[in-house]
Amino acid sequence: MENWPHWLVLVVMAPLVGAAVVPALSLRNRALAPWIALAVMSVTSLAALMLLVRVAREGLFSYVPGGWEVPYGIELRFDEFSAVIGIICLIGWLAVLFSVRYVEHMPNVVPDRIPYYYALLLLNMGGMIGFSVTGDLFNFFIFLEILSLSGYALVAISGERIAEMAAFKYLLMGAISSLSVLFAVGFIYGMTGTLNMADAASRLAGLDGSPAAPAVALGLMTVGFMVKAAIFPLHVWLPDAHAIAPSPVSAVLSGLVVKVGIIGVIRVQQIYQDSGVVDLAILNQLFVWLGAISIVVGAFFAIFQEDIKLMLAYSTISNIGYIVMGLGLASTYGVIGGSVHVFNHALIKAALFFAAGALIYRTGYRTLTDLRGVGKSMPLTCAALSIGAISIVGIPPTAGFLCKWYIALGAFEADQPFFGFALIFGALFIFIYYIRMVNAFYFLPPVRSEVVDAKEAPLSMLIPTLSLAALCLIMGLAGRIPLSFIEPAVMRLLNGAGG
Amino acid sequence: MTVDIAWHNIYYLASVVLFCIGLYVIIAKDNLIKKFLGLNIMHTSVFMFIIALSAVDEGHAPIMVEGAVAPFANPLPQALVLTGIVVAVSTTALALSLIIRIYRHCDTIEANELRELE
Repeated sequence: MENWPHWLVLVVMAPLVGAAVVPALSLRNRALAPWIALAVMSVTSLAALMLLVRVAREGLFSYVPGGWEVPYGIELRFDEFSAVIGIICLIGWLAVLFSVRYVEHMPNVVPDRIPYYYALLLLNMGGMIGFSVTGDLFNFFIFLEILSLSGYALVAISGERIAEMAAFKYLLMGAISSLSVLFAVGFIYGMTGTLNMADAASRLAGLDGSPAAPAVALGLMTVGFMVKAAIFPLHVWLPDAHAIAPSPVSAVLSGLVVKVGIIGVIRVQQIYQDSGVVDLAILNQLFVWLGAISIVVGAFFAIFQEDIKLMLAYSTISNIGYIVMGLGLASTYGVIGGSVHVFNHALIKAALFFAAGALIYRTGYRTLTDLRGVGKSMPLTCAALSIGAISIVGIPPTAGFLCKWYIALGAFEADQPFFGFALIFGALFIFIYYIRMVNAFYFLPPVRSEVVDAKEAPLSMLIPTLSLAALCLIMGLAGRIPLSFIEPAVMRLLNGAGG
Repeated sequence: MTVDIAWHNIYYLASVVLFCIGLYVIIAKDNLIKKFLGLNIMHTSVFMFIIALSAVDEGHAPIMVEGAVAPFANPLPQALVLTGIVVAVSTTALALSLIIRIYRHCDTIEANELRELE
């Protein structure tokens, strides 16, 4: 069954078509909207599962929609890095489930427009999935814009006081970064006359003349994706946008959308590694430094946050720092650790944001002081939050430990032990602020009566939160599976043998 | 010689200059409408760059009718830019609607005054 070739196009089209269908079908009865969206995500997840099975069996494969041959047609390619769509579908499915109760109680919500929220969420999913599986440079840009535009709108939707301002700031930075990616796509097309990534890589290799123009294209692409991934110093849009968005959207943005920037960086590296036209060593060294700075800066700012979601948002910056540092180390362990952290951080951060969303939903408060003592009234949610916190600090046997261990090993393997210490230093910072949170929830006397009287979160929120928290533990114990899965792709990336 | 090369690449140079102007406007101006007009200038500059790639000396429009004479301009960048324009229009629509909502909430669209309100 997994050999049916059309799964690859179905996995992209299902959420995109679903996004158009959801508001139409729920015109009469808007209570239907989340369930239709859930059905669409289920189809997508099934397709993603089939693709994952196939890529594990036979490695990289591709699909040419409409039968237009490569390099003239738009190619969809599925390699081990595309397997990130598995986590996209999982978290997307859970985010839709979580939204069922959450969106109806957002401030200033217009009930008739709720179906459009699900449409935006599905568009976002479709954009991310398409971005991960496309093998065509211009298609790459289009999917980037689909997911970014829906992302801006999803931030603005929350109805919080400064939501529109946060969304506008996100839009400005996001649009500039998309444009620089488009500029680079134009550059590559001008140099090689092709938009297919693999084809562009081989033609770049045959290019004579100075490497200046390919280097400019590489720089533009990298800067563009660095903004999307919120790497220091291009992270300024992230904290407000991620903290203000509705909690299920925060989980999607923080867990998945920033990872799109990382996938973009990996794709660009694949092109340039294969062609060998520009030496990537300088860029990698830059990544290692920026990653280390992101780790420390993100963790440092997170310590001073009172707002629980703002704290989680800063912690995303620091974790993206880990991923980028792992990739930049360009040693086997480092890159494997970095790529697997893309998966694991998505799990952990989504669990944390879901749990935080459930707390906000039940109590109406979002600062550490107000939420004191919530551990007694909402034990399951807080347990999930604590597991997420332990996991993100990187205490064994959780999902976070494994990646950070591998990245640290990678730092020593690349003969740059200093960054191994930066990593441990960052982990200490992270430990401090999560310990603050756990302390406030379990051990400090409550200050708000609503918090003491709060009921446990409803089932539609508990299921996503608890299942992700359980996965954090399982992935820590079964960590060999993703590591060995991603290894051949990392080897290809590092050795430049046909991305 | 240098002048000749510059003249030959005038579209590329102009698009880079426009790109920088747009970026400057976004960074330096406080008014949100002006900021996003800067974004539109950047959009246009990139579109012009890609369109300029399709130019062929003495090239004709690539429309395959009887009596069409080669050489043809490259149609692919033109198709790309058409798609790009659609993206730019959606960005513009979203940005304008956000600005309207900011104005309704805060009665101002000057970034410095908004920062004080935060």
